[in-house]
Amino acid sequence: MTWTAVAKKDFRDAVQSRALWALVGVFVVLSVLSTYAYVEAPALLGAATEATFGGLIFFTIGLVGLFVPLSAIVVCYKSLAGERELGSIKLLLSLPTTRGQVFVGKVVGRATVLAFGLGVGLVVGLGVGAALIGDLEAVALVVFVLATLSFVAVYATIVVGLSATTGSTSRATTLALGFFVVFELLWDAIPMGILYVLEGFSIPSTMPDWLYPLLQLSPSAAYFSSVVALLPNLADAANAESGQSGAGAQAAADAADPFYTSPEIGIAILLLWLLVPLAVGYYRFDASDL
Amino acid sequence: MAAIELEGLTKRFGDVVAVDGLDLTVEEGEIFGFLGPNGAGKSTTIDILLDFIRPTGGTATVLGYDAQSEGLAVRNRIGVLPDAYHVYDRLTGRQHVEFAIEMKGVDEDPDALLERVRVADAADRKAGGYSKGMRQRLILAMALVGDPELLILDEPSTGLDPNGAREMREIIRAENDRGTTVFFSSHIMEQVEAVCDRVAIIDDGHLVAVDTIDGLRDATEVGETLYVYVSALDDSVLERVRTLEGVGTAAIDDGRLRVTVDGVSKFAVLHAIDEITAVQDFSVVESSLEDLFVRYTNDRQEVEA
Repeated sequence: MTWTAVAKKDFRDAVQSRALWALVGVFVVLSVLSTYAYVEAPALLGAATEATFGGLIFFTIGLVGLFVPLSAIVVCYKSLAGERELGSIKLLLSLPTTRGQVFVGKVVGRATVLAFGLGVGLVVGLGVGAALIGDLEAVALVVFVLATLSFVAVYATIVVGLSATTGSTSRATTLALGFFVVFELLWDAIPMGILYVLEGFSIPSTMPDWLYPLLQLSPSAAYFSSVVALLPNLADAANAESGQSGAGAQAAADAADPFYTSPEIGIAILLLWLLVPLAVGYYRFDASDL
Repeated sequence: MAAIELEGLTKRFGDVVAVDGLDLTVEEGEIFGFLGPNGAGKSTTIDILLDFIRPTGGTATVLGYDAQSEGLAVRNRIGVLPDAYHVYDRLTGRQHVEFAIEMKGVDEDPDALLERVRVADAADRKAGGYSKGMRQRLILAMALVGDPELLILDEPSTGLDPNGAREMREIIRAENDRGTTVFFSSHIMEQVEAVCDRVAIIDDGHLVAVDTIDGLRDATEVGETLYVYVSALDDSVLERVRTLEGVGTAAIDDGRLRVTVDGVSKFAVLHAIDEITAVQDFSVVESSLEDLFVRYTNDRQEVEA
């Protein structure tokens, strides 16, 4: 299996990137600052609620949901397009391997780099938070970290998959940024816009069931819902409404609602975001002239 | 079994035909030179052998395996120095070779390979800081990993100084002595001439000649040419020179004797001429295979123009 060798080489290469370490530095600072703000702000404002570790986790999700897409773009956009543009892919594919193995190796290598950088930031941030709060929920922490690593893997796959479709880094940049703008920045508005048009240019008082899964199509929204689904007790305690990032999407999961309105749909959507870019990226990469 | 077999190989990029119906057989064990001017289709052909690009017609077979459908089997048995490659700037020379060793699943000493191509001193430096010649040596070391049956080298002497080019030729010969078939491309005739058993000349996507170096010489009557100043020069001298052993053609050219030498040493011919009439001075025009190459590739353009 040569993909492990490709992944290892890729990790060795990318881990020396200054951009990556600048990113990790920024994330550590942000993580510590926001943790401090989360723990100290209620006391300063004289709020009744105390900061909890569970609350901190849900607070951190927002930060991760922004940091992972951006750092995935920085770390992954050139992964294949850049090698093709420069010609180093010729060294790689002259060796006994296949394009599929190279593609998978790239995804794994870059995901490991991302996970490594993010892990450093999370350990420092949550460590500071746990010390300030004086509490640590080990099970919740493990579940959160695993969910976050999965999210990292999904985003690495998306951006490497986009990079696999082209031999030009400028086009890869456009694709990656376009994906970010559409699915992370604008996604809350797009389904609402569709709804607005479908309802005769008005916003209905109750949201239809299909709106919720559509809003979850944004990978970071799906990640948030996944954590809610995996840590329901903490979510209740932290008053985290899945889909809170979706403007006005109050389609809360009642027992009688269809399955796709429960936060578990987030896990399915993340899985979809793992498989679709793999399939599309491989198909395009395998068929192209280098 | 042929090392490389091309049948009607064709590659179109849109309207441009880069390679047009190429038929070529490279036998096992030979050093084969693939010669042509820049843009003739050499790299396109090699890229098809390596499955970097897919042909629009015909087939390419390497060591009995189809280059497209059995690419992994091909790459398991070959070593490659590609054209227009780029090293991994942040990885050291040794890491490059270690990577090739790991990918080929063999157990070799990276330092010994780096020693062989003379970049061992720079083994721990990042390859991004290597000169073009050092990179070329480094990639050659990667190509040699696993003792391949076939070496495919695309413009191997690019970026090498004359000394480096000579060392490259020595390595090519040494590998060939161990039974490795070598297929390499060049746009410089003299590099091919120095090591190759056989040569193919390609121009504008077409094969214009396939032969041994000697065969090419014979076919076009180009050998080494001596220009000799002698004390007395007339037709009777010319007649006697023509009958000398090892003289291909002889003629009077601008007050000098122009003699092509074939099969014997230039010194022997000069000595024989000196016995007929005293030699005052002489000059040697080195092999005109370069001229031949130019003629082959220009004729075609003139025909097409």
